[in-house]
Amino acid sequence: MDKDTLECKNISMLFPGVKALDDVNFTIETGEIHALVGANGAGKSTLMKVLAGANPGYEGQIFKNGSDLEIRTPMAAKKAGVQIVFQEVDTALISSLSVAENIMMNDMIMNMKGKHFVNWPKIRKNALKVLESMNIKIDVRRKVSDLSLAEKQMVLIARALQSSCKYLLLDEPTAPLSNTETKELFRLVLALKEKDIAIVFITHRIYEVLEICDKYTVMRNGQVVSNSPIDETTTDKQIIDKMLGRSFDATFDKEPTEIGEKVFEVSHLTEKEDKIKDVSLYVRKGEVVGIAGLVGAGKSELCKTLFGAMKKKKGEIVYKDKILKINNPTDAVSHSIALVPEERRKEGILVQETVDFNLSVANLSDYCSLSFVNNKKTAANAKQYVETLGIKTPSIYQKTAFLSGGNQQKVVIGKWLSADCDVYIFDEPTKGVDVGAKREIFKLINSIAASGKCVIYATCENGELLSISDRIYVMYGGEISAELETSKTDDKEITKYSVGFKNK
Amino acid sequence: MGNTKALKLANKKDVTRFLLDWAAVLALLLCLIVFTIKLGGAFFSGPNMINILRAMAITTIFAIAATVTMAPDGFDISECTLASFSAYIFVSTYLWYGFSLGMAILACILFTMVFYLLTLFLILVCKIPDMLATVALMFVHQGLGLWYTGGGAVSAGMSLPNGSAPARRGMSEAFMAIGQAPTIIIIMLACVAAAHIFLTYTKYGRYLYAMGGNRKAAKLSGINVIKYRFMAGMITAIFIAIGAIVVSSRNTAAQIVGCDNYLMPALAAVFVGLSVGGQNKPNALGTLIGAGLVSVLENGLMMSSVPYYVLPAVKGAVLVLALIAAYSSDEEY
Repeated sequence: MDKDTLECKNISMLFPGVKALDDVNFTIETGEIHALVGANGAGKSTLMKVLAGANPGYEGQIFKNGSDLEIRTPMAAKKAGVQIVFQEVDTALISSLSVAENIMMNDMIMNMKGKHFVNWPKIRKNALKVLESMNIKIDVRRKVSDLSLAEKQMVLIARALQSSCKYLLLDEPTAPLSNTETKELFRLVLALKEKDIAIVFITHRIYEVLEICDKYTVMRNGQVVSNSPIDETTTDKQIIDKMLGRSFDATFDKEPTEIGEKVFEVSHLTEKEDKIKDVSLYVRKGEVVGIAGLVGAGKSELCKTLFGAMKKKKGEIVYKDKILKINNPTDAVSHSIALVPEERRKEGILVQETVDFNLSVANLSDYCSLSFVNNKKTAANAKQYVETLGIKTPSIYQKTAFLSGGNQQKVVIGKWLSADCDVYIFDEPTKGVDVGAKREIFKLINSIAASGKCVIYATCENGELLSISDRIYVMYGGEISAELETSKTDDKEITKYSVGFKNK
Repeated sequence: MGNTKALKLANKKDVTRFLLDWAAVLALLLCLIVFTIKLGGAFFSGPNMINILRAMAITTIFAIAATVTMAPDGFDISECTLASFSAYIFVSTYLWYGFSLGMAILACILFTMVFYLLTLFLILVCKIPDMLATVALMFVHQGLGLWYTGGGAVSAGMSLPNGSAPARRGMSEAFMAIGQAPTIIIIMLACVAAAHIFLTYTKYGRYLYAMGGNRKAAKLSGINVIKYRFMAGMITAIFIAIGAIVVSSRNTAAQIVGCDNYLMPALAAVFVGLSVGGQNKPNALGTLIGAGLVSVLENGLMMSSVPYYVLPAVKGAVLVLALIAAYSSDEEY
């Protein structure tokens, strides 16, 4: 056997409070494309980071061709021939420099000892050589900022190949690419395979796995649940089945609410940069509508466009037969639309301000006489919501920065409840809150719907949608790929549409 | 809040926190005590205290202008160059064109507000970072201002750039009174009070502080961030104009770049005031204390026969210490 192998044995990785990797065994061989699939948070990226030396705290062993290997630094990974291309290409490239410099970056940093001047012709020549070997035409003098996303990715792969590369890890390389760009990438990946390089290919698109990969490993909750070769008998259904089976950590019995007529309607909504395309949906009175989809499917973008925080290209938003003009969040709030954003600390609460002020900021005018804030009124309001929502805080004048995640989220929700909105949009509201707080947030959302409001709930946790929503729209690539009745669907069906199957 | 805190200083961290929060006030008291011990009655006397108040008035007014801009996390390094330009307008409308004092004041305020639209255009429409936009505007203010005056100061007895005679020979008593105690001190206190009430007790002030804390979250709470940044800019312009008027009256002329030198002490005052009372945001009362500290130091050192040309180093040291107090308390980098 003349193939090189890289073998992970009993790898575990602990983050505070979470076991991100749990006794993982994973082997790759040169000349092979190995797919790594799994739901969000299954541990795929963590495992890749271990191999790339970015997670030095791992437990377990790594063997290269049977001999023990420690990968505790990115340098050690590179020495072992492991190169990684991260999902966010822009964080790995220096966009103000040329293609040649970016490709030769490692060389320019590591092999310049004792040298002081940059040999431009040599750098350009070497960069060009790498690109030619990949059969790709990009002018090496161009600035990286002028390149398309796909070209940037090629530059990153070229950088990886320029150094000694035996094992290439690609973390969701196709997520931002168009169909033709994806084809181009596949061609390259297949060519690299011919050159006897091992490729790990992380993706959410199951058909891509079937198309180009030789083997696949499925991860779930930090564990490897399956490891099999791909042949004619492998089906997408098999893979999806293995990805699922997640335990619902927050089982919640929804109190049925009285669902009225259609009041909130969105038609053909398209974001300015096509981050969401032609989205049409409606919400009835008292209804909780779920937005499902994987990370990057456009859920957050949909929420933000509805709220005016992202610009829309076209489309209409109607509430009670009235077309709403929403160009910015201020317009949205004046039309009684509320958004509980995903990034709670960055976008939801004002961490430097008190609980009292946070709970009144969305409708401060209501607590003012002649533009002067009446502190008694805001305090009464704050006390009321601290009590009804069960916000744990020593005082209403505590800075929200010192509250726990769940309590901060309650403050954000309380802010909008006090503003008495008609449409509540939740974007991943349970992210980073513990199970108990999750249940309370669900209860809260349930009661908002019960009071006859419209609720839109976006999350990538299908289990949550199945317990809280009445109807679910599944998003894929910025579009709605399916509309499902919650009572008649299951995790499997949602996942199917989340990974690109269409039903319209 | 500070007093209750002082009663229960439980551990070392609380002590440090307390000292940092009240550093500016303690430093001010310390300066007063040290100078009084050293210089005795010459320093700690009614007339000298009035002296100090008068000297700090102009710095305070410009510092209040900066405070209002900095509340929503804005910045304006060109405020004092604009003030110099506004001063030319104020004195020239009064002397050259014979406006009444009231009309000249009104013209100066209006001019400053209109010209400030350019600053806000660069920041809000062209989206240039505040610092860079206002650095560029410093040159624009200086050049256009002197183009308007014909390259010289505007003072009594001089003819217009086109050679014609001015409408007035000199300044009236009322004109000069603006820059003298007690009027100048009253104007300063009124500016501080107005800014304090605006920033602390009105919803606009609350919005500005919300924007200063986290603009994105403020925007997603439905605050019209562009509108309120514009409002802060316009109020800043009014304070700049008031500063220009006071400076002109005190100098009985609009001198060439007459206001430019107030920028650094004004910014120092705001930064000294940032941490007062643990607020960690630009606030009017803190700014007043900051300006007081700078002026007391200046006055006391001058009386201790420290040469005037060394004083900038002292002001710089105060600014550095203020910045350390303001930023060392930040939890994250």
